[in-house]
Amino acid sequence: MNELPASVKLAASQPIIREPVIAAPSSEFAIRVRHLWHRFGNFDVLRDVTFDVGHGEIFGFIGPNGAGKTTTIRVIATLLEPMAGRVEVDGFDVSIDPEEVRHRIGYMPDHAGVYDRVTVREYLEFFADAYRIPHLGVVEAVLELTDLAKLQDKLVVTMSKGMKQRLQLARVLLHDPKVLVLDEPASDLDPRARIEIRDLLLELRSLGKTIFLSSHILTELADVCTSVAILERGSLIVAGPIAEITDRLEQRRAAMTGGAPPPMTVSLERSASPPGSVAQKQEAQGEPAQQQLVTTPAGIPVPATARRRLKLRVLTDPNHAAKLLENGPGIQEVAVIPGGVLMIGYVGSETLVAQIVHHLVINGVAVVGVEPERNELERIFLEVTKGELQ
Amino acid sequence: MSAQTGTPSFVPPPPSARAIDVARNSIRKAKSEPNPIWIRELKQAARLLRTPYILMTLTGLVAWLMCAIGGIGSMVGNPASTGVTLFHTFFSVAFFVVMLVGPALAANSVASEREGRTWEAVVLTGLPPKAVAKGKFMSALTAVSMYIVMMAPVGVLPFLFGGVTATEVFVAFVFLFLFATLSVAFGLAISSKMASGRTAIALTLLLAVPITLTAYLGLGLGLSFAAHEAWPAVLAGPPVWLPTAYERAPFSLEYVTFLVIVPVAAVALPAWFFYEVTVANLTSWSDDRSTGLKRWFAVMTPILVVATVVPAASAPVSEVYVGFAIAMSVMFLFLTFAVFVFVGEPIGPSRRVLVHWDRSKAKWLTRFFGPGLMRTTVLVAVLGVASLAAMGAVGMVVAWLSPFVTSSRNVQLTGVAAFMLYAAAYFLFLVGFGAWVRARASTSGVARLMLLVAIFFSSAGPWIIAAIAGVIADHPGADALVVAAPSPFYIFVLLGALNDPNSEFVLAAGAICAFAWAMIGIGLMAAAASKSKTIIARHEGILAQAEQLFAQEDAARNQPPEPAAADPAEAVEPGDQPAAEPAPPTQRTP
Repeated sequence: MNELPASVKLAASQPIIREPVIAAPSSEFAIRVRHLWHRFGNFDVLRDVTFDVGHGEIFGFIGPNGAGKTTTIRVIATLLEPMAGRVEVDGFDVSIDPEEVRHRIGYMPDHAGVYDRVTVREYLEFFADAYRIPHLGVVEAVLELTDLAKLQDKLVVTMSKGMKQRLQLARVLLHDPKVLVLDEPASDLDPRARIEIRDLLLELRSLGKTIFLSSHILTELADVCTSVAILERGSLIVAGPIAEITDRLEQRRAAMTGGAPPPMTVSLERSASPPGSVAQKQEAQGEPAQQQLVTTPAGIPVPATARRRLKLRVLTDPNHAAKLLENGPGIQEVAVIPGGVLMIGYVGSETLVAQIVHHLVINGVAVVGVEPERNELERIFLEVTKGELQ
Repeated sequence: MSAQTGTPSFVPPPPSARAIDVARNSIRKAKSEPNPIWIRELKQAARLLRTPYILMTLTGLVAWLMCAIGGIGSMVGNPASTGVTLFHTFFSVAFFVVMLVGPALAANSVASEREGRTWEAVVLTGLPPKAVAKGKFMSALTAVSMYIVMMAPVGVLPFLFGGVTATEVFVAFVFLFLFATLSVAFGLAISSKMASGRTAIALTLLLAVPITLTAYLGLGLGLSFAAHEAWPAVLAGPPVWLPTAYERAPFSLEYVTFLVIVPVAAVALPAWFFYEVTVANLTSWSDDRSTGLKRWFAVMTPILVVATVVPAASAPVSEVYVGFAIAMSVMFLFLTFAVFVFVGEPIGPSRRVLVHWDRSKAKWLTRFFGPGLMRTTVLVAVLGVASLAAMGAVGMVVAWLSPFVTSSRNVQLTGVAAFMLYAAAYFLFLVGFGAWVRARASTSGVARLMLLVAIFFSSAGPWIIAAIAGVIADHPGADALVVAAPSPFYIFVLLGALNDPNSEFVLAAGAICAFAWAMIGIGLMAAAASKSKTIIARHEGILAQAEQLFAQEDAARNQPPEPAAADPAEAVEPGDQPAAEPAPPTQRTP
């Protein structure tokens, strides 16, 4: 008989921890931040921040140091009271029902501490008791899911940073939260640990968790995130799916090129799931938004709707090559850059890249270089932020 | 169920109102679901390698001290007196160990979690602050108990010499555990406020050392003389007199009152206060942090009235008003302390508290004991004035009926009434000023500081003015001191002048000032109520405005999208503002 995967075991071993005291409000969004203001002394740390995070998303929260990311996250995690505005998690207001919110979120702060002189298993058992989880199998399931079973008798203080981060992730999974709020989960980690954490996040997303993630490592966010929000000096600069943001930026560039008055920023407060969209309708019916996943050149599954770029270097006439590709399946734009370079915007997987190259070659185009552009997010970030610190 | 102990889930039986069933179920629940923080900290403590060495060293030192004293004592005195000396030595040392180690251990508990950044994870588990406080309390108490248990074998050495009974040793150990409870609760209360473990320990020890010394000298050494007066079989001088009194005092109402109820209450009530302070500090600002402390105040006040009135009324003295003045002074000090505690109240209940009250259909009494400056002010003022009035009334009855009064009963009556009226009037001023300054101050710390300044200037100011003006030096006599009548200490001048037939002027000045203090206090309370009302109304207005904005946004969002395609060039400009600007951050929560 085949062994059940850890994720299935976890889901099966999670009983209803506590009946909600009050009726659960309708939860259209996993996280809803509306006109959030916060002030430390006389200094506005957050200014009218508004964004939504749909169910089942991996939402990247980006911003320079001091932009207000951690303050926003702490408000979402009920550790800080919003001074004005409203923040809801799964329909519960963090100011009114913090207990209900805490049942639904798993918050992993950056540089979280661990207890001395306890083993990995004891650490998780303590939190299982604190969460009042009436099932002994949960700790085993979480240990297996996070691949910590082999280290369960190891003292926590003797573990590496990567393993401690993994343990923190295991802790926040104990009560099977719907929403994971992770503040810089990959900070101070070596490349291997980062990859492991990233893979774990993707696995958690496949379990239906909504992941709210802040990070400075934009390339990694681009690999895993379905939507992002960029914060600067306490104000939200942009929010939404990466592809949509890219589109809007391009529209802005086009408008500036055409002599229109240059908009200084793109539209804000864009809902992650636009009103009337399929995803929103699914969410309204209580179903998580199901998006078809494709694999990026890096091997990371991402939503099929995410647009990527590809740089092709050809020896023959680039305009001819561009004509061959225009209006092809999955191809959204083709631009010719002097020097025999084609910039191709496409939606699809690695297979499409291979098909594009194959199509060009059989039509007599000499393709000498193929460079998938991965870090679109970095470009967006640099374009929309001004590099100002507060 | 406990994952840490592996105990199965506790299945609660059908509810029963019988006390025995409630107790049995509580014990079963505690066994099957022990406090998770307590269990985790026990596991951590078991792995701390230095603990056995510290315990062994301490026990060795105490044993060496006891042997040295026992050896010397047996050479110069009889064995029984040596046994008594050893008994007092051991329990004095144990008292200091418990009173200093207990707070230090507890002080590190919550503060170290904050410092080590593990606190947030605990908060987010949803463990109630009471459960956290209990877990921390039990783990610190367990650690202190280990010190007591380790030293216990040394504590039986006096038996080898005689002069001490088993009951005395047993009672002494019981009180040692009670003191441990109090000391741990004290350390925990400080720890719950601090963010650094080292600072918490330093502050705790800074406070614990003088308090412990004062308690040892005052309640131990000092009260032994009073105990000797009451029960001659108790020796005057030795500090550990309470266990001896348990053994040697005849059983009576006094025995129960002064040897059982008062000592237990003297430990339990402050421990309860520290517990409530800890819970309040661990509770979020927007939650109800007031009910526990207000409940404690409501219970503590009548108990303290009884505890101070009974000795004053039963003392066989001629000058009744002196005894009651002391009793009312103690009460007044307690009430002033309460004013300082409750000046930290929020202006009104937060939105969260209001919503929860509405959901649970809270009765008026629940709401009255909840957060809110004015309801707390009313509680403190009413209970304070009522307790002082009750004490004054009892004092006047005793002054009228006491067979020990040999001087004029009118003087006794006037003395008690004057003290009661001045104390109550000045207390009203303090309550009113506290409420008024809290309604205007940005933080409770500022309000407390302002209150302290007001007390200092109103108490010492008139005397300083009198001294500067040369009134005291140039015009000796009570009449000249009427300049200082606004000071609350003037009441002692007034009491001193009672036997003077020409004291009307002194009495009149005192009465006028008392009346003025009371009127100022009531006026300030009215001003505070008005200010609080304004702040709450403004806050509610902001909330309503925000709600309106959210409703408008929701309505706009739920409308079907317009068919016209958006022009890409019409992206929202950065300067565009929402139709209705949300309320900027103002005051946190009333």
